Amino acid sequence: MDTAIKFIAFDQLNSALDRISEQLDVWVPVASKDQKRVIQFAPYRPGMTLVLDHQTTLGPKQVVLPQVEALFRFDYRKSADEPSRQKVQLEDPHPPAPTLIFGARPCDVKGFLVLDQVFSAGPFVDGIYAARREQTLFATMVCGQQDSACFCSSVGSGPTDRTGSDLWITPIAAGYVVEALSDRAHPVMAWLQEAATELHVAAAGKVQEEAARQQVGNLAVDQCQQHFLQRFADTNYWQEVAGQCLSCGICTFVCPTCYCFSITDEMKDKHGERIRSWDSCMFFTYTLEASGHNPRPSRLERYRNRVGHKFSYFPEKYQGLIACCGCGRCIRNCPVSIDIRKAVQNLQGQNHACS
Amino acid sequence: MTQSHDNPAHKQALTIVGFLCNWCSYGGADTAGVCRFKQPTDLRIIRVPCTGRMDPLFIARSLILGADGVLVSGCHPKDCHYAVGNLYARRRLEVLKRMLPFMGIDGDRFRYTWVSASEGQRWQQVVTEFSEQIRSLGPNPGVTGKSAAAATA
Amino acid sequence: MNSDLRSELHKKAEQAWPDLELLIGWQAGYDDLHTTPVFIRDSAEISKLIWNPWCTQNLAVYVAKHFAASSGKDDKKIGVCVKGCDSRSLIALLQENLVARERFYIIGMPCKGIVDLRKLHALSGAARILSVQVNAEQVALKSAAGVLHFPLDEVLMRKCRRCRYPNPLIHDVLVGDPLTPRTDAHEAYNDVAAIERLSLQERLAFWQGELDRCLRCYACRNACPLCVCQDRCIAETRDPKWLTQYMHLPEKFMFHFIHALHLAGRCTECGECERVCPMEIPVALIKEALNKITLELLDFEAGLDPQRVPPLLTFDAGETGI
Repeated sequence: MDTAIKFIAFDQLNSALDRISEQLDVWVPVASKDQKRVIQFAPYRPGMTLVLDHQTTLGPKQVVLPQVEALFRFDYRKSADEPSRQKVQLEDPHPPAPTLIFGARPCDVKGFLVLDQVFSAGPFVDGIYAARREQTLFATMVCGQQDSACFCSSVGSGPTDRTGSDLWITPIAAGYVVEALSDRAHPVMAWLQEAATELHVAAAGKVQEEAARQQVGNLAVDQCQQHFLQRFADTNYWQEVAGQCLSCGICTFVCPTCYCFSITDEMKDKHGERIRSWDSCMFFTYTLEASGHNPRPSRLERYRNRVGHKFSYFPEKYQGLIACCGCGRCIRNCPVSIDIRKAVQNLQGQNHACS
Repeated sequence: MTQSHDNPAHKQALTIVGFLCNWCSYGGADTAGVCRFKQPTDLRIIRVPCTGRMDPLFIARSLILGADGVLVSGCHPKDCHYAVGNLYARRRLEVLKRMLPFMGIDGDRFRYTWVSASEGQRWQQVVTEFSEQIRSLGPNPGVTGKSAAAATA
Repeated sequence: MNSDLRSELHKKAEQAWPDLELLIGWQAGYDDLHTTPVFIRDSAEISKLIWNPWCTQNLAVYVAKHFAASSGKDDKKIGVCVKGCDSRSLIALLQENLVARERFYIIGMPCKGIVDLRKLHALSGAARILSVQVNAEQVALKSAAGVLHFPLDEVLMRKCRRCRYPNPLIHDVLVGDPLTPRTDAHEAYNDVAAIERLSLQERLAFWQGELDRCLRCYACRNACPLCVCQDRCIAETRDPKWLTQYMHLPEKFMFHFIHALHLAGRCTECGECERVCPMEIPVALIKEALNKITLELLDFEAGLDPQRVPPLLTFDAGETGI
C-alpha cells in the first residue's frame, strides 16, 4: 500500500481531482459565479476553480445531511385483488456513493463529530445518515485564515486539529502536501502520483508549526453547562445578549453543528416523498404546537435555547462534548452581529469583553 | 395546483387558468355557453367571489409552476358587485403584469379583462383571443430546474 | 468628524432622556467593522451609542415588530436613531398606521453612506483585514498584504450610491448638518434598467442563477422593517400551503414573489434584505423594480409623506390606462 506523503503542485490540482473523481464523488469548495465571497461545497467537475484560501460560507454539512432529502418515496395504488382498496408501496432512497470532501477545515470536520453523536453513535442509529457518513472521506486542510469571528481553539479544536479527518492537506509555497491519517485514505493516496520531497515535507512542517501556534479565540467554556442553567431565568441577561435578534434562520443554516430537522410528506396526486429538511430553532413555527400554544414564543427564548443546546444540554447528554465547532459562521453572518461568544462568556460571570 | 410542467402529456393541450368573478365574468362565460358560442377548450375556470379576492400570488404561482397562461376577468370598473373590489384589483394586477417580465416570466402569458354577465359575445372574443395568444407563445417553461440540494436528495 | 458627531449624538440623547423609556441606537460590535443594535434603558448607557459609516442596521425594523403594541410608562417615548433611508421605513409604518408617531422620539442622522463590507473583502482579497480608517472621502484599508487607499464612494453600499434621501425625512432632532443628495430619481433605477435591457430568457437565466443559492433562511424577510407579519408568514404555513419544504427553484421563486409582492408600493429601499443575505442574492432589485413600476404607474414613492396612503391599499375610480 502506498502510504508515503504526497505532493500536488498548484497546476496539478485539477488533474489530481480529475483522477480521484473517476473513483469517488468529490465535493470541493467553489465560489458561486460572480459572487466570489459566497463559497460552497459543490460536486467536482473537471475544470472547476477551487477556493481554498477562504472559509466557505456554508460548510460541507449538506454533503452528509442535505438541506432536503427523501427518506422514502410512496405510491398509493389500487390493489389488484381488491379494487376498492388502495395499497401503499414504499421505495427506499438510493444508497449513497463513496464520497470525498476535499478542502474542508478542521472546524467543518469537528461539526460532523457533533452530528455523529446524534445520528450514528447510538443507541438509535439514523440509517440514512450513518450510511452516508460511512461512505464519506475528509481531506482536510490546515487552516491559516482565521478572522475576528473564529474561535475554534476555545471549543477543543484548532487550526491543526486532525480529529475526524482521513487526509491532511498542508498548503506550501509550491502546492499542497498530503498525508494519510486513516486507513481509509490509502486508495486516495495511491491515486496521487507525485511523492513529496523532503523539502516539501519540511515546508509543510513549518506551516503546521505556525498554524499550531495560533490560539484562535479566548472563550472559556469550562463549567458553562452549570452557568447556563443558573442564567436560564435571567431575562435581563438574554435581553442584553440577544434583544436585537431578528429571529431569522441564518445562524442555524450556516452552522456545521445544527442538525434540527423537520419531516414532511410532500405529495402530488397519489405519490410523494417523505422528506427531511433543515429546520431552525430560531423560527416561531419550530416549537409551535398543534394547540396553538408556543413554549418559545419570543426570540429571546429561542436564542437562549440555541445557546443552551450547544453549551449545556448537548454536553450534558454527550459526555461533555460542546456542540459548537468555533467556526464563527453564526457571528459573521448575523444581520445584527449577535456574538455567541459574548452570550457564553458572560454566562460565566467573567465580565471582560470578547476579542 | 399541480405541477403541469413535469408532465409532458400536458404540453399537447394548453393549460390556461381562468379566475372569473362570480357576479360578472362567470355569468358571462355561462351566457356564452347558453348561446352556444364556440370557444377554445384550453381554459380551466376557477370561480372567485370578486377580482378583489385575487391575490397576485395566485397568478405568480400558476406561472411559476408552468401554467401556460392566466386570465383574470371581473366586472367592469365602477360596476363591481361589491362596489370597489375591481378597482383595488386592477392596480394590483397591472403592477404584477409589469413585474413578471423583470423576473423572466413573459407578461403576455397573463391578461386581465372585464366582462359582464350579459356579454356572452365579448367573453367568446376575449377567451378566443387570449387562447390564440398563448398558443402562439407556446408552452410555458416555468422556472424549472432543480437546485443542487434537491439533486442530492 | 465622526467623534464630533458621536458626542453631539450623546449630548442630544442626554437632553432627550427625561422623556424616554428606551433608546434604540447602534453600539460597537464584535470587531471594528461591525455594529450591533443596542437598546438603552439606563441613561448611563448612552455612552455606548456610536455613529459612523459602519452603522448599517435599519433600526426601524424593531419599531413595529417589538414596540408597536407597547404603551408608554408615564407617557414616556421610545427613542430611535434613523438614517435617511431608515426614516422612510418609519414613515411607511406611519402611513399604514402600524405605529403611532407620538410614541416615538426620532433622532435623525444625516448620512454620507454606509460601507459595504463585501466590497472591502473583495478589495483585500484573501488577506485578512486588520483595520480600516475612514477620513472624509478616503478609506485606508490595512490588511496582512499591506495598506490600500481608495475613495469612500467605491466601497459604499449599492443603496447609498443611489441614495436620494441622505437626510432623515422625519425627525425630532437632527445630529449634524443636512447633506446634499447625490442622485436624481432618473439615475436611481439604473440597476433595474440594466436588467430590463436583457432579453426575457436572459432575465430568467439571471434569476435562476441567483435564486438557486437561496437557502430560505428568511433573513431577508426578518430584516425587513415592513415585513410585519413575522410569525404568521404564508411562506411557513402548511395550511394554506404555498410552499413545500423542497428546495427546488419554483419554491425559491415563489418565496421571493411572496416577499416582493407584499412590499409592492411599500418598500422604502433600505436595502436590508440584500445586505443580510448570506448567499449575496441581489433581492433588493426585485423590490426596486416594483418601486419603479409604482412610481411610473401610480406616481408613488413609499415613505416620503406620512399622510399619503400606499397606492395598493387604495384605489382611484377615475384612473384610466389600467
